[in-house]
Amino acid sequence: MNKIVNPEPLFNDEFVGEPPAKRVLGHVQAKREQGAAVAGIYCGYAPMELIHAMNIVPAVLCAFSNAQIEAAEEHLPANLCPLIKSSYGFVIRDTCPFYAVSDVVIAETTCDGKKKMFELMSHIRPLYVMDLPQVPEEKEAREEWKSMILKVQSFMEKHTGKNTTEEKIEASIKDTNRKNALMRKIFGFAAMQPPVVSWAELYDVIFIAMAAKGEEINPRLEDIIVKLEKRVESGYFHGDLKSPRVMVTGCPVGGDALKIFKIVEEMGGVVVALDSCTGMKAFMDDISEDTGDPVGAIAERYLRIPCSCMTPNSRRLTTMDKIIENFKPDAVVDFVLHACHSYNIESYKVGEHVKNKHNIPFLKVVTDYSDGDVEQIKTRVQALFESI
Amino acid sequence: MISAGIDIGSRTIKLVLHDGADIISSEVRPNSYNAIDICREMLKDVSYDGIVSTGYGRHLFSRHFNCEAISEIKAFTLGAFHTIPDCRTILDIGGQDTKAISIDEKGKISKFEMNDKCAAGTGKFLEIMANALEFTMDEFIESASSAEKGEPINSMCTVFAESEVISLIGRGALRDEVSLGIHHAIVKRSVSLMKRVSIRDSIVFVGGVANNRCVRSLIEKDLGTKVSVPENPQIIGALGCALHKFKTAADSI
Ligand code: SF4
Ligand code: SF4
Repeated sequence: MNKIVNPEPLFNDEFVGEPPAKRVLGHVQAKREQGAAVAGIYCGYAPMELIHAMNIVPAVLCAFSNAQIEAAEEHLPANLCPLIKSSYGFVIRDTCPFYAVSDVVIAETTCDGKKKMFELMSHIRPLYVMDLPQVPEEKEAREEWKSMILKVQSFMEKHTGKNTTEEKIEASIKDTNRKNALMRKIFGFAAMQPPVVSWAELYDVIFIAMAAKGEEINPRLEDIIVKLEKRVESGYFHGDLKSPRVMVTGCPVGGDALKIFKIVEEMGGVVVALDSCTGMKAFMDDISEDTGDPVGAIAERYLRIPCSCMTPNSRRLTTMDKIIENFKPDAVVDFVLHACHSYNIESYKVGEHVKNKHNIPFLKVVTDYSDGDVEQIKTRVQALFESI
Repeated sequence: MISAGIDIGSRTIKLVLHDGADIISSEVRPNSYNAIDICREMLKDVSYDGIVSTGYGRHLFSRHFNCEAISEIKAFTLGAFHTIPDCRTILDIGGQDTKAISIDEKGKISKFEMNDKCAAGTGKFLEIMANALEFTMDEFIESASSAEKGEPINSMCTVFAESEVISLIGRGALRDEVSLGIHHAIVKRSVSLMKRVSIRDSIVFVGGVANNRCVRSLIEKDLGTKVSVPENPQIIGALGCALHKFKTAADSI
């Protein structure tokens, strides 16, 4: 079989070939011109459905550039997670275009580094720190998190003049669920053997789908699904028939951290599952509908996010089981950012689980945004593939 | 058939020629900024039927010579398992990397660990410390072996450890005890790397630093078990490449 090259790109807008943040910025700016307010967000726990229901557009703030770190280290210790340092560098140097247009910023008490970094930037834009319960299985957690969502609602009302109703929040929940279902359908094309979509294409789709409402993006998602179905019919596939299938789990991956995906491909693998907050995580679960308590339903869903800031975070392993079952990876790479203690410690559990339960080779990579260790990571990834 | 294996490391380039039964010849040359020129020079007067590369310059070499490149982990595993067939744990300390590999009875890799991106705990670390003490490498090993006890070195970062060494000497510490302390530091780090892959007998120590008898005996003391060092521990990666060539050649027949 001859390999078909150059399939039709998934997007055909003016942002093709640009970094995906450009497309999202275009979306945020257009919404703003139509009268929406903007909420800058840093984390998967920001309650998107509430934000959308208030006619506020969520803007994921920049956090993935190595170039911002030097400036950040004037205030922050060098031995800190690069995601935190980079976020802070973008803010103090005023180089994040999303932050520049944000009316408010939503923050959470996830890890210590972020929590303390927020204190240092809270005077620049109105910022609300949501107190995240870290043992989600405790029965009080739901009520606590629900009350935090209501508090962030008042905060946003006060600073943007926008408001909403329970009906609108319920509608927003349904909107997310429809979007997530389409996204999971798209991920299904990466689960195919061989996959018909690349990590870079998935990353592009995820970036815009994170910020947009279902009603805004679903027609494009449907269009993408049609294109992917055509690829399947035409016999197109991504990578090589022999390419090891790789699941990358762990800390968020973006910008300069994308080096991990690039290395996997350069060593002959294909990334089929992106298990992080900038990957598939936000789309893998649904929110209960018509419960009569939409904010409570949102609280429940967000507390189910398998983030390492939670303890014991056993959901990380059960979610991985499902992903492994569906995406059939040949190897798992746990991507840990330098000085991220929670993901780094959890990596031991994850590694044992992957090896013992699934009998799949596992590799932990601890790195930052610089490219000084690219060659060493290549050696490890190659050795990982050799051990399949 | 004669197969060649080449290991392009940060400090040296190793070449092995193998005829399927024995090593026919081997060579070690210092590496420099122009690795490919040095490789060409080394390969100029030898003949072989196929070549495989490893080491951190492996991809560069494979592009120039259009051959297969395998990771150092695989190369050292093949080479060590061939040389010492009951080997289950491999420690490789090279110029810029330290690796611990555990393998099963069939020689398959079960787990591996590498040092972080800095030079801590590598051959380069020892070199810099020897320099700081104004020793040649042989004098440095001699000095460490002669000491009764070692000065504790707390910092594993090469830059900090160097200033620690200088201030220890400034405070009147004995040079031999500082030498031994530095050897202790590298051994502690290597042993903890090995523990992460789980240590099983027999243990094979390879790479340039395996020639350092002080490091070797300290590891033995620490683990309470014997550690084997092949006759020429530096060429084990290149040997692994040459052996790999035979394997793939056999597969394709
Ligand atoms: S990994 Fe955890 S802290 Fe980081 S963005 Fe995701 S949910 Fe937030
Ligand atoms: S990667 Fe880890 S340390 Fe960095 S912000 Fe996320 S949870 Fe915190």
